[in-house]
Amino acid sequence: MTDRLTDLARATAALVPDLGTAWLALALAPLLLVAVTLLVAGRWPTAPGHTTIRALAVTATSASALGVAGVALHRPVLELPWIPGLGVWLRLQADGLSIPLLLLTAVVSVVATLLHLHVPPPARHTPVSDEDVAVTSPIPDVRSLDVPGLATYHACLLLVTLGALVAFLAGDAILFFVGFELVLVPMWVLVARYGDPGSDRDGAAIRFLMVTVIGSTLMLLGLLGVATATGTTDLSRWAELRGQGIPPAAQAVLAAVLLLGLALKIPVFPLHTWLPWVHATAPTAGSVLLAAVLLKLGTYGIVRLVIPVVPEGFSLWAPLLGGLGVTGVIWAALACLVEPDLKRLIAWSSIAHLGFVVLGLASGTQTGLQAALFGNVAHGLISALLFVVVGGLKHRWGSAHLSVARAALREGAPRLGAWLVLGIAASMGLPGLAGFWGEIGAVYAAWTPAADRPDGWFRLYAVAAAVGGALAVAYGVRVLHEVWSGDRVEPRIPDAVRTERVALRILGVLVVAVGVLPVLLLTVTEASVVAVIGR
Amino acid sequence: MSLEVHLLSTLPVLAPVVAAVLVLVLDALVLGRRTVHLATAAVGLLVGAGAALPGVLLGAGDSVQAFCLASGECLYAADRLVSALQVAALLGALVVLVLAWPEWSAEGDRTPVVVALLLGATAGAASVPAAGDLGTLLVSIELATLPTVVLVALTDPRWAGERRARSVEGAVALLTTSLVSFGLLAMGAALWVAATGTALLGAPTAREPVLLLLASVFVLAGLAFKVSAVPFHAWTPITYVTAPLPITAYLATVSKVAALGALVVLVRALGAVDDTTLLAVALLAALSMTVGNIVALVQTDAVRLLAWSTVAQAGWVLLPLASLSSRAVHAAGSYLLVYIAGTLLAFVVVVAVARATRGGDTSLEAQRGLVRSRPLLALPLGLALLTLAGLPPAVVGLVAKVVALRPVVGDGTWWLAVVAAVNVAIGIAVYVRWLAVLLGPTGSGAEVAPQRHTPVAVWGLVATLSALLVVGSIVPVGVL
Repeated sequence: MTDRLTDLARATAALVPDLGTAWLALALAPLLLVAVTLLVAGRWPTAPGHTTIRALAVTATSASALGVAGVALHRPVLELPWIPGLGVWLRLQADGLSIPLLLLTAVVSVVATLLHLHVPPPARHTPVSDEDVAVTSPIPDVRSLDVPGLATYHACLLLVTLGALVAFLAGDAILFFVGFELVLVPMWVLVARYGDPGSDRDGAAIRFLMVTVIGSTLMLLGLLGVATATGTTDLSRWAELRGQGIPPAAQAVLAAVLLLGLALKIPVFPLHTWLPWVHATAPTAGSVLLAAVLLKLGTYGIVRLVIPVVPEGFSLWAPLLGGLGVTGVIWAALACLVEPDLKRLIAWSSIAHLGFVVLGLASGTQTGLQAALFGNVAHGLISALLFVVVGGLKHRWGSAHLSVARAALREGAPRLGAWLVLGIAASMGLPGLAGFWGEIGAVYAAWTPAADRPDGWFRLYAVAAAVGGALAVAYGVRVLHEVWSGDRVEPRIPDAVRTERVALRILGVLVVAVGVLPVLLLTVTEASVVAVIGR
Repeated sequence: MSLEVHLLSTLPVLAPVVAAVLVLVLDALVLGRRTVHLATAAVGLLVGAGAALPGVLLGAGDSVQAFCLASGECLYAADRLVSALQVAALLGALVVLVLAWPEWSAEGDRTPVVVALLLGATAGAASVPAAGDLGTLLVSIELATLPTVVLVALTDPRWAGERRARSVEGAVALLTTSLVSFGLLAMGAALWVAATGTALLGAPTAREPVLLLLASVFVLAGLAFKVSAVPFHAWTPITYVTAPLPITAYLATVSKVAALGALVVLVRALGAVDDTTLLAVALLAALSMTVGNIVALVQTDAVRLLAWSTVAQAGWVLLPLASLSSRAVHAAGSYLLVYIAGTLLAFVVVVAVARATRGGDTSLEAQRGLVRSRPLLALPLGLALLTLAGLPPAVVGLVAKVVALRPVVGDGTWWLAVVAAVNVAIGIAVYVRWLAVLLGPTGSGAEVAPQRHTPVAVWGLVATLSALLVVGSIVPVGVL
């Protein structure tokens, strides 16, 4: 099967012309150019209409996705001296570790730009005398509108995508850091300016910014430490050295600093508190990008910057990391059982899924790493799908509170309901869907961890993670029970509009495809994973 | 004692001095025309910057020298870093001059004096980093400082009495600080000579290591006043707020070159600094950035915020100097250059906005919604703030932070590195708060004053400085 797939990939690559670094240019340039164009156009006295803006943005992300596909097939390498004073190179390349995430970013960015920006209606003040009267809310407009600042909004989405692509493509530590930071300001604008006005969006935005910046600066300290010890910032060189020349004590410190910085981004329990709040506030497309792409920067950072670079330091902290990952799985699952806000609930479930990913990474085996990379992509697709549905529902309902009686989705909005069922089923980890392989792999890897890991602890983690998986089924059922099933048909809400349907189809097909044919992904990552584990 | 004088080599310092003299002479000859004075000053600064420019391209180890003794030591030596600082000081002064042009050309009798003072202070700032002996260093520092006291005190005669009184207050704060810091410096210099037996700064061979340590701590304390490092920062917020805006910009940028230049000279002279001095620098850096950022976090006035951000940024400039790395001095210099570009741009926009509002309002509220009302000013200001915060898309600020952190991490001073990391976050909160005001919804429409015309020269400054930051972000080669 694997051989046949490799042959197939080779045959496909032969069909597509090898344009070399032009593929990289195609992946990045449209995003930058259109983002700048939109920023300028948004300031113009006569701003362009919403059709033009969205068409431009979707064209940019589609062109970029095409470029990313080309990069994934031909793996071109770009090397230019960038900051001679620091010995930093503009080095862009793709390998088995980054290609799945690059493709995920490309797909999710198309989905994010496709979605309409909904401006939530101003909060209504119900007179005291009317509080007991059931109000039928007006049917909200779910189609596109000329929203003020729409151009800036799309420019921010494109810049977030650009930063993530740069980070995943980076072959140089400082360049990775630049990409990592490039995401921050646009994301802050997305939350602070286009977030839910009913909540404290400035607070959520600044919290997101602060947490990420503290994390990324700690990561920078670690990167600079490694760069001083090895005398280079080339990531492939770091991976080759495998920590040679860095004494064990220094490895322990560097790994601690790097892991702490990245754990804030993933986020790992107990550093996760910012995530539900930010998700609850961010606009739908912002949530989609945050969950599917930005959180992956953290796990990708561990695979790229910690495991191969300071292996001894990582194996020292791995038991703790694994334990925190599992705690996160249980904790977040319990939170999901009682969380009253649907969007926050999905955010909590993100934390649980990323706990599995972290556990896989900590196990230190090839299976664990494969499972982690798989879980990364699977979570990206599933959470994107769920946030598209839930973000749409939140707009239709006016809030995402579960305590308010709503029309059952099965009756009122069957299409949205069907996609919700698919997303929740995948999130439960049902076999045949994307979520299954990453989680079962992580549990298996924790049961048989690498030789230098404490067996007993990891077996305990494996059991706890399995319990967490069962809890996932419980909260999944809770969501379906409260939102999807039932007979109520009032208040009516409109079903999925065309853009949502397109976005959900893209994601849904991928969720099923990756679940049915996991080899598609595992083949891509296999060679690189062997190199990272290095044994 | 024979002395080789290469007067032409000192043109970066000499040009502003000559221009100052010319301005005063012109004042006696040409009556009533202010533009001539200002133009002369601008030419002087440009010539100086032009003369310093070739020095930036010098190879490592080369330097332009003057006043060389028979023993081979020179009292004036400008290598690549020093030349870069000189260019920054002279061009920074030019920006301030352009910024103050409308006020000074209308002002009347005082213009020649003010312009001559500005030129004198700039000449001092340009000569500090090139100083090769204690005498030159002390004289240059005072030349760079004392005129600024007068510049703060000499306010627009049309201002209200109370406002002018506050300016005098600010000038007194600055004067007191200068005197104290000069006292400390002089004391340090005396101890230095006692410890090494020479006033030359080239690699002292300490006869009395303890005395040399004491000397360096005194000099360090004296200079900490000038850089406005905590706990020697008390004058900064008072003086910044009371001085006329262009002068504040001058104090925040050109004067900082003088102070950092002196620190560079000191660190180079000490060579392998002993641990006590390093610890002192580290403490100054850590305190400055923390206190500066935290106080800046609650400011509601743009100038006050910039004043406290200066204190914090002074900590960042000091940060690399707290390590033994050979790159430390260059890292501090690079950071300073980026800081100057960012701060000047911020000040230019603040001045432009303040002039357009009634009564020269510099509060943050006056800038609410600037992105929508005046995008061409707001976007450069945003760029400047992101540079100071060190966030992309202003990659140049990010690279500066990396450059400043690298020697510290390389040295393994983890506690300082972590303090700096936390301060990156607080600093971002400071600037993002301002950014949020710019992005926010426009204030109530009634308050928007009829916008006065922004002069072409200010647009030129905004465009040039923004272009500098953008190019620096795409190709950060300027980082030494």
